[in-house]
Amino acid sequence: MAECRGVVVRVHIQAGTALLTITLLAVPAARALALDAAATDELAERVRRLEGALEGMTEQVQTMQGDVDKLRKFKFSGYVQARWETGEAKADTVQVAGSGPTLTPANNERFSIRRGRFKLTYDSAPLSQAVVYLDGSTSGSSISVRLLEAYVTLFDPWTPLKRHALTIGQFNLPFGYEIERSSAARELPERSRAENVLFPGERDRGVKLHSQWTERFETAVGIFNGPGISSAEYPTADPNRHKDLVARARWSQGVVDAAISFLDGRQLTALTGPDAHTDKRRIGVDAQVYYQVPVVGGGSLKAEWYGGHEVNPDSVKTLVTSAPGGGAPRLLRAGADAEHLATDVAGWYVMAVQNLGERFQVAARFDAWDPNTDRDHDEYERWSLAGHWFYDGFTRVTVAYDAPATERLQGGRWTDPRDNLWTVQVQHRF
Amino acid sequence: MRIPRTKSAARGVAATALAIVAFGAADPAGAGRGLTIKGSDTMVILGQRWAEEYMRAHPKAVIQVTGGGSGTGIAALINGTTDICQASRPMKEDEKRKLRDRFQTMGVEIPVARDGLAIYLHESNPVEALSLEQLRGIYTGRITNWKELGGPDARIVLYSRENNSGTYVYFKDHVLGGRDYSPACQTLPGTAAVVNAVARDPHGIGYGGGAYGRGVKEIAVRKDAASPAVKPSLETVRDGSYPVSRYLYFYLRQRPTGEAKAFVDWVLSDEGQQIVTKVGYFPVK
Repeated sequence: MAECRGVVVRVHIQAGTALLTITLLAVPAARALALDAAATDELAERVRRLEGALEGMTEQVQTMQGDVDKLRKFKFSGYVQARWETGEAKADTVQVAGSGPTLTPANNERFSIRRGRFKLTYDSAPLSQAVVYLDGSTSGSSISVRLLEAYVTLFDPWTPLKRHALTIGQFNLPFGYEIERSSAARELPERSRAENVLFPGERDRGVKLHSQWTERFETAVGIFNGPGISSAEYPTADPNRHKDLVARARWSQGVVDAAISFLDGRQLTALTGPDAHTDKRRIGVDAQVYYQVPVVGGGSLKAEWYGGHEVNPDSVKTLVTSAPGGGAPRLLRAGADAEHLATDVAGWYVMAVQNLGERFQVAARFDAWDPNTDRDHDEYERWSLAGHWFYDGFTRVTVAYDAPATERLQGGRWTDPRDNLWTVQVQHRF
Repeated sequence: MRIPRTKSAARGVAATALAIVAFGAADPAGAGRGLTIKGSDTMVILGQRWAEEYMRAHPKAVIQVTGGGSGTGIAALINGTTDICQASRPMKEDEKRKLRDRFQTMGVEIPVARDGLAIYLHESNPVEALSLEQLRGIYTGRITNWKELGGPDARIVLYSRENNSGTYVYFKDHVLGGRDYSPACQTLPGTAAVVNAVARDPHGIGYGGGAYGRGVKEIAVRKDAASPAVKPSLETVRDGSYPVSRYLYFYLRQRPTGEAKAFVDWVLSDEGQQIVTKVGYFPVK
């Protein structure tokens, strides 16, 4: 019995020990489990918070992306041409001209801002686009900012590649190679004399349909007011009902490009009484050939010819009489034919451009302009040379030399005035 | 008619030449600056691998590779700020004209690799193949629900590249037939971003270079409804049966010489083309 009791006591002791052991082990385990559960909850809560924050950030990024997409429709571009010129005709004086009188700087040594262009394009792709283009420059005796271009272009919705575009507003005339080429890309500081006389300002107000028929062939047809934005008499208005029809067709093979251009319109010479209306007709042909000189770099040969029938300022001076000072009445000289106010004109140029490695380029051009093909001693000819140094991807430094040849009757002899010109220009394009 | 004063003109020529020589002497970025490569984001990994391996084999060579998109690379080629442009699409006519305006050259195009443009779906999406017509419908906004394509009843979420990307232009020209992307399309700044977006979005669809497709499903593409569904592989890209394959290009301003020529030759060599395969594209040879 005692033995049995002893066994019972031993069993009790062993059971108690086991219980104590289990208790001692279970408490930390339970505590650990409780802690693990708390940690898991906390971790889950943190993940939820982070997910919420991430969703919030995603929404913010999407909103910002929308804003950035809208801003991306605005495109700013432009360039600045700061120039120093020195000509052969130098004098440290100013001359007084006109009845004003107007002070005109007589010396040809000066700093100037030739072009300060700023272009804003809003590209509402895929069907429309608007452009506003301003120019700030020190032209002549004034500092001016003027509207150079403002137009809306509508792209056709019928062809996948938007091959046809209708443009309305104020923009470049679709005539010739020189007009369409940006002054920031041109290899000589100024366009040819023929272009300068025929298309001062290069732009006019009107409507144009441009069609890219194939990858190589394009046409442009437009109707314009006629006087152009730099007309001395009618820079903003069209004095007659006749509009100018301008057209251009261009074939671009890549290494050889060629185009023809055409303009037909009417010009008005204001007179006291019925004004004189004369035909205005221009034809242009241009071609460019590109080639590679191994090691040296790319080169090109370019040529353009202008011909036409225009009002000639010299003819107007000869055939129209006016009161002293140029005022009214302005009358056609007795017996004069108004048709003779316009004469046949012709102009052309050839030029060569050669890149010398990646950072240098040289260009040479000969251009000629004849304002009246029936008359002698009124021609203008010019050699122009330029060297360019591309300082970086945006900046170009140019040294150019122009040697024009004109004829002036002096002391019974035809002489060439001293008007050769050096130009140093720094251009930054953005 | 007058003959120009030749004496003055000759003086002008001499002085202009002198000025150019003077500028040349002052050129701040002359030779020895290494080779810069810029352009396609699709090709940036490939370009970097090429540059690393080439510089390892040619310790004196310095090559810097950056992305930005094919359009950005071509713009850099035109303004002279990169030596080589990487592009996942051919240059456009107006870009060639701009290059010609500045350098009197149409540029030199060198195909350096081929890519099967992959179509990415979320891994849970049951759709396994799409035809070009269906892809066109999806990306122009005509097809808007996966149900129309055998998938779940859920709105299709479109992911695309930005318009300076060659992949964007290639997809628009060759898959959309020149049509415009749906306005609902979300544009993202790189193929990796497109892949990430699709990997997180069960209803998303994206496209991009074959080398990027990690964590997403690359589906097969049919030329038309009657054609077999084809996945991009060396064989299907090479024999043209995979309908959205393209060349990847190097563009240079003129025929390469010196360091540029050595690098281009190496890229086109067996060694260079093996790297193309390792990165996940297809060799040109």
